[in-house]
Amino acid sequence: MSGTPILELRDFRYTYLEGTPKANEAVRGVSLEIQPGERVAIVGPTRSGKSTVVDSFAHLLRLKPGQVFFEGEDVAAPGYDRGALRRKVGIVFQQPETQIVEDVVGADVAFGPTSAGSPAEETRGRVEESLDGVGLPYRDFRLRYVYALSGGQRRRVAIAGVLAMRTPVLVLDEPTAGLDPRGRRELLDLLGRLADDRKLTLVVCSASLQDASLLCDRVVVLDEGRVVMDGPLREVLRRDEDLVRLDITLPEPIAAARELRHLFPDLPEDLTTEDDLERELVQRLGTP
Amino acid sequence: MLELQRNVVFGQFVDTGSVVHRVDARVKIAAAALCIVASFLIDDLLGFGLALALVVGIQALSRIPLGFFLRGSAFFFGFLVFILVFQVLFYTGEASGYLWRWGILSVSAEGLYTAGVLGLRVVFLYYITTLLMLTTSLVDLTNGLELLLSPLQKIRVPVNELVLVFVIAVKFVPIFIEEMERLARAQTARGVPFDEGGAVTRARRLGRLLVPIFINGFARADTLTTAMHTRSYRGGRNRTKLRVMKAGPPDWLALALVTAWMLAAWQL
Repeated sequence: MSGTPILELRDFRYTYLEGTPKANEAVRGVSLEIQPGERVAIVGPTRSGKSTVVDSFAHLLRLKPGQVFFEGEDVAAPGYDRGALRRKVGIVFQQPETQIVEDVVGADVAFGPTSAGSPAEETRGRVEESLDGVGLPYRDFRLRYVYALSGGQRRRVAIAGVLAMRTPVLVLDEPTAGLDPRGRRELLDLLGRLADDRKLTLVVCSASLQDASLLCDRVVVLDEGRVVMDGPLREVLRRDEDLVRLDITLPEPIAAARELRHLFPDLPEDLTTEDDLERELVQRLGTP
Repeated sequence: MLELQRNVVFGQFVDTGSVVHRVDARVKIAAAALCIVASFLIDDLLGFGLALALVVGIQALSRIPLGFFLRGSAFFFGFLVFILVFQVLFYTGEASGYLWRWGILSVSAEGLYTAGVLGLRVVFLYYITTLLMLTTSLVDLTNGLELLLSPLQKIRVPVNELVLVFVIAVKFVPIFIEEMERLARAQTARGVPFDEGGAVTRARRLGRLLVPIFINGFARADTLTTAMHTRSYRGGRNRTKLRVMKAGPPDWLALALVTAWMLAAWQL
């Protein structure tokens, strides 16, 4: 690792409702460095602290100083410009529908750029690009009412709203939950493309490695508020027994390979794509 | 950040497993009702002092931290002070002498005294109901209310339905609070800074949350109705309880103690 990490957590701990009878310790000492341009998956079962870690990136919690750093600066230091931080770290929440602030689709997507002071003409361009990007054609959707849209469409509006802010860091919490297979594929393609084109730093949070394995090359596994694994995707995938024990859904090819190992005990552990699996199987079955 | 759960204690249930938590729910409800009646009969500072002393004692027994309770009531007390200031300034009863006067506004000893008694009465009412909810789980509260009100069923009052409506209303308070916090966080991430600016700006930003809160509230109510239908809800008819409430001698003793104390506070 070299250079200043764009995001860094140093022994980050967080307790919700601290000092009340309902205190709930969510994160118990997470240290993590993310370099610019990295694509990191943060995976873990429910209550592992993923969402709290995500919230900390944009200072959406009562943070204590010395724990969360953006480009080397302590975000909880007095006088730190949180507004500027939130213009650089875009977060798509687990239920992105809650992020919608305006009634009309176009106005909502324009909200971020406008409040960041982008000129009207540029904002228009960004809205058009973002809406087209998430598969809601700008011309048809910009004047529609948000509340008249379906759940999946609303989610795309919310994602477009974050994309339009053109943040160098994009954090997504369970981005594909509740989407149909086609919507899921489209969204993953879009995110991969955006990350390539704009050299984004991408953080994807999930209980499943299925989507993360297609987008990310590094995986951080959390359990009960602590980091239990951190490494390149292929290395983490090799520890499939541990992942299954943590109740983390494996990518389909890996899960299939686990089952097929009854027949072919020598199948490799790091088959991330269906093509890898197919190739290995064809090899073992012998080409007809 | 917006942390309403830290700042609104009303309607929360905190289980510390104390003596107060274990008292039969019917007895607690009856005692709270008794205190409410007493608060309308008592009309001097000494009486309220005595009555409040009992509630403070109950709070200590319940092992609910006082700091948590006070911090969670700051909004309420602030609002109360605001109202009492008007009560004093616009006091219209007989006044023996004015401490300060300007047009229709005045401060008199009598005005201060009535405002003080009124304030204590409201604090007492708030304290007793909040404490009841802090120490009684919703299930116990429902069962207790239902049993206490069951005689009314004879004159065809739909007790079960009324209690259900009450319970749903109470239960939705924390849900809405959680939802507001989540909305505020989500919108902050998009550049609506809920954690910056003066009190007025902050209050105006809260307005942005109201429309989605209402829409989600209606959606939630719809879902709940469907859920109840699919689980064959048909009111309280022919319904039996898994847990039958039994009040023992200590429960009756507690009720007797509260009754005696309130009588003393009234007559003193």
